[in-house]
Amino acid sequence: MTNHLGDIQNAKAIIIFGANPAVNHPVGFGHFLKAKERNNAQIIVVDPRFTKTAAKADYYAQIRPGTDIPFMYGMLHLIFKNGWYKKDFVKNRVYGMEDVMKEAKKWTPEKTAEVTGVPADKIIQIATVYAKSTPGTLVWAMGLTQHSIGSSNTRMAPILQLALGNMGEEGGGTNILRGHDNVQGATDMCCLSHTLPGYYGLSDGSWKYFAKSWGVDYDWLTKRFKEKKWMNTKGFTLARWYAGVLAGKAGEDAIHNGGTNLKALFVMGNGITSIAQTAKVKEALDNLELIVLADPFVNEAAVLTDKKDGVYILPAATQFETSGSVTATNRSAQWRSKVVEPMYESKTDHDIMFEMAKRLGFYDELTRGMLLKVDPKTSELKQVKKTFKWPEDATNEIARIIKTIGLTGWTAERLKKHQENWHLFDEVSLRGIGPMKGEYYGLPWPVWTETHSGSPVLYDIHRPVAEGGMGFRNRFGLEHDGVNLLAGETSAPADSKVPGGYPEITAKNIESVLGITLTEDEKKRIGKNWKVDISGIIAQKCMEAGIAPYGNAKARAKVWTFPDPIPMHREPIHSPRPDLVKEYPTYKDKPNHYRVDTQYASKQGEKDWSKEFPINLITGRLVNMNGAGVETRASKYLAALSPEMFADINPNLAANLGIRDGDMIWIHSPDGTKIKVKAHFSYSVAEDRIFLPMHFAGHFQGEDLSDKYPEGTRPYAVGESANTVTNYGYDIITQIPETKGGLCRIEKAKEV
Amino acid sequence: MQRNTHDALSTQVGRRSFLKMAAVAGAFGATSAFASAGATRAATEEEVKDPFPGSKKIKTVCTSCSVGCGIIAEVQNGVWVRQEVAQDHPISHGGHCSKGADMIDMVRSNVRLKYPMKKVNGAWKRISWDTALDEIASKLKNLRGESPESTIFLGSAKMSTEQAYYFRKFAAMYGTNNIDHQARI
Repeated sequence: MTNHLGDIQNAKAIIIFGANPAVNHPVGFGHFLKAKERNNAQIIVVDPRFTKTAAKADYYAQIRPGTDIPFMYGMLHLIFKNGWYKKDFVKNRVYGMEDVMKEAKKWTPEKTAEVTGVPADKIIQIATVYAKSTPGTLVWAMGLTQHSIGSSNTRMAPILQLALGNMGEEGGGTNILRGHDNVQGATDMCCLSHTLPGYYGLSDGSWKYFAKSWGVDYDWLTKRFKEKKWMNTKGFTLARWYAGVLAGKAGEDAIHNGGTNLKALFVMGNGITSIAQTAKVKEALDNLELIVLADPFVNEAAVLTDKKDGVYILPAATQFETSGSVTATNRSAQWRSKVVEPMYESKTDHDIMFEMAKRLGFYDELTRGMLLKVDPKTSELKQVKKTFKWPEDATNEIARIIKTIGLTGWTAERLKKHQENWHLFDEVSLRGIGPMKGEYYGLPWPVWTETHSGSPVLYDIHRPVAEGGMGFRNRFGLEHDGVNLLAGETSAPADSKVPGGYPEITAKNIESVLGITLTEDEKKRIGKNWKVDISGIIAQKCMEAGIAPYGNAKARAKVWTFPDPIPMHREPIHSPRPDLVKEYPTYKDKPNHYRVDTQYASKQGEKDWSKEFPINLITGRLVNMNGAGVETRASKYLAALSPEMFADINPNLAANLGIRDGDMIWIHSPDGTKIKVKAHFSYSVAEDRIFLPMHFAGHFQGEDLSDKYPEGTRPYAVGESANTVTNYGYDIITQIPETKGGLCRIEKAKEV
Repeated sequence: MQRNTHDALSTQVGRRSFLKMAAVAGAFGATSAFASAGATRAATEEEVKDPFPGSKKIKTVCTSCSVGCGIIAEVQNGVWVRQEVAQDHPISHGGHCSKGADMIDMVRSNVRLKYPMKKVNGAWKRISWDTALDEIASKLKNLRGESPESTIFLGSAKMSTEQAYYFRKFAAMYGTNNIDHQARI
C-alpha cells in the first residue's frame, strides 16, 4: 500500500479491482465503510464476480476475467478526452504518459465494452464518478496480479492514479491488500529467488555488501555456490519449482539449472496446494529424493505424494509461540509478543534453521550478523557481543543493513515502544500523541534514520522528508532518449533545499546536490551511495536538507526494458474469446524464465481451447478461510462454516447442463486434470463462469486422501484443491500463475 | 454458503452456543449436559469475575491476514486461556473477523503436529528431533556436495520478518537462489 487502511477514510472515491476486502480483510474493510458513512465516498467495484464487497458498492462492473487493462484504458480514454487529468502533475512527475494517451485513444467506451463485457454506459458512469471524486484511492489484490499480464495490470492501475494526480495524496494512492499477515515483511526480506533482503539485486555489489554486513568473507560466500555465476542468477520460483523436478520427462518444459534437476524440497510454512497445477506438483513431489515439511499442521504435500520414504514432517511453532515483528499491508511494523511456549515438541522456525545450519556447518556464519554493530566513531563494523538475543538482535541487524526501503529506524526498542503505546495513535492519520508525538504508528517504511517519523503516505510532497514526505525514486538514470527523468519544478517535498527533482544521493554528489561541505572525517566514513552507507551520514545530511536519499524523479508510465513498454491488453493464455486472441495475442514463448522455458504463444495457439472448455474459471477466498487453508481447516469452528469444497455456479448455466443445486459435478481443465465438487447455485457468478474457493486440499481428482494423514492430524475439512484445475499460464515478468482467468468444462457427476 | 453455514450451525453445537452453555453451567452450577451430577458446584462471585486468577494479558497481533489486528491474549500458568479484542488498537479498534477470533483455537487445535515424523515404506513413524535433523542434514550434505542447485527452499509469509530474513540468508549460505515464498502467488 502506498497509503494505509485508516487513510482510506479520507477518500472521496474508492475503486476496487480484483479484491474482496469485505471477505478477505473484514476489519480493514471497516475503514472503507467509514469512508462511505463519514465522507460520502463512492465505492466502485470492478470484478468478474458479484462479491460481498460489490454488495456494498455504489457502482459495480462485472468484468470478463483478464480485461482490467482495457477497462482502465476505457476510463483513461474519457479522462484524457474530457481533460479531467491533472496536467501539472503529469508534466512534472510522470515520464512517458504520451504513449499511454495514444493507446487510450483506441479504447472508446464501445470498444472497451466489447472486450470487457461491461456496458458502455456503465464505463462512462464509472469513469466520470471516479475522475470527479478526488482524492480517489485504487485498491487491488490477487484478482489483478494472477494473470499472464499481471505485471502489466499492476502498472496500469498506478498509471490511472498518476493521470488523476491521486498519488502522494491523503485519501489517494494505490492500495494493494496483502494476503497473509506478513507477506509484506517476508517480501521486504526477499524470501524471493531474484533478490536479496531489501530488494537488493543479485549483482556482485549487493553480494559484497551483504557478505560484509553479515561478517563473512565474500570469497567464502562465493564458494558456497556451485559457481559464482549462480549467485547472479535468479532461482526457481514457488510458481514453477515443480518444473525443476519434472524436466526431462516427455512434454515437460526444459530447465536451466546447471545440469541438475531439483532433488530436495525444504518447506517452512507454505501450503503446497496454493499454486496452480496441483497434479504437476504431486508428480514433482513423487519424484523428489527428499521432502522436508516444517509447519504447525500437516502440509498437504505429505498427503498428496505417493512417495514412500524420504518425507519428513517437522512440527513448527506458530507465531504466538515466539516473538518478533510483522509488517502489515501498509508497511507498518508491529511487534508480536510471545503468548505461550511452543506447544508439544514443536520448535520455532528460527530454531529449526539454526539446528540445520549447525549440522550443515555454517551456524557461526549464519548468526554472526547479530553480534555486530557499526562503531559510531569510525563507521566500521565491530563485534560487540559473544551471544545473540533472539529476535531483538535480528531486528537490529535488519535495521542496520537495509537502506533501500529505509528500515534504519526499525530498531527492536522502537517497535516495542509502538506496541506498548498503540493506544496513542490516531486511526485516520496514524499520528502519535503524548510520548509518541512525531511518529506514525508502526513507523511505516521508509523510516530513514533512528529518529525518523515513518512515512504513512508514499510519494507525498506536501510534508517534509523528515516527517514522511518524498517524491518518486530516482532509479533508472537521469534521462532516457533525451528526456529528463528527474521531477520538474515545484515538485519537491515541503521544506526541501532543492526546489525540483534531484538524483539519488551518492558520496560523489552529496555536496553539490545538498549544497554542503563534508568534513575530512565524514568523507572518510561515508559509504559509496545511500543504499550502502552504513555510516548513516547520507541519511542524516539528507534529513537536514529536506532531501529524500533515493532522489526525486518522475514515475515511469513507460518501462523501456519490459516486453510491453506501456501496459497492453493481451488475452489470457486460455481465453474464451478466440476472436480477441487474434487481435490481442499473448507474448512469444519465454526461454529461461526463472530457469524454466515458459510457453505463451505456443500454448495459447495450440488450439481453440474455448471449444472444448467454454467456461471461465476464477478462484478466491472465503471469509472463514485463509490461503491454502492449512491453518483454518484445522480449526473445528471455522471448518464447520464451510465443511466441504464447492463451486459457485449460475443457476441458468447449471440448468442447461442438467445440474441441480447440491449435485456433485466434475470440473475438467485444459491440462487434462479434473476435480469433483458440489455445485452451489449462486447469482454472484455470470453464466459464462464459475467460482472456486482455493482453500481446500485432501482430495485429489475424485479420491479422498484422508487415510494418508498421520494419525490425529487430519484437518476438520478436506476437499478438492481448486488448483488441480487452474490452468497453465504465468506472468511474463513475475511468473505468478494465471489462476484468475482460465477455462474449464463442467459435467454432472454420475451418481454412485 | 449460507445454506452450508446454516446446516453446520443447526446440526452441531456452535462455538458461541457452547460458550453460552458453559457460562450458564459455570454461573448457576446447573447439571449440564456434559457433566454428571455432583461433579460441579456453583462458581463463587470472585470466580465469575476473575475465572483465571493470576493470569497475564499479553498484547500481540493476529496471524491471519495483513490488516494486523491487535489481540489481547490471556495466559494462566503458561496456557492461553482466553482471547480478547484490542479495543484501543489503531487499526482494528476492537474488531475481529471469524479467523482472527479463532487464533486461540488455531494454536490449541487438536490436529496440531505434536512430534517429528518420517515416512518409512509408506507408513508414518514418530522420530526424535535429533534423528530428524541428523538424517535431513546428512541427505542435504550429500545433495549439496553434488550441487547446491538441486535444493529449493520455500519460505513463508507466515514467518516473522526476522525469520524470513534469516531464511533468505540461510539459502544464500547454503549456496543457492532457489528460494521463494507466497508473494509469488
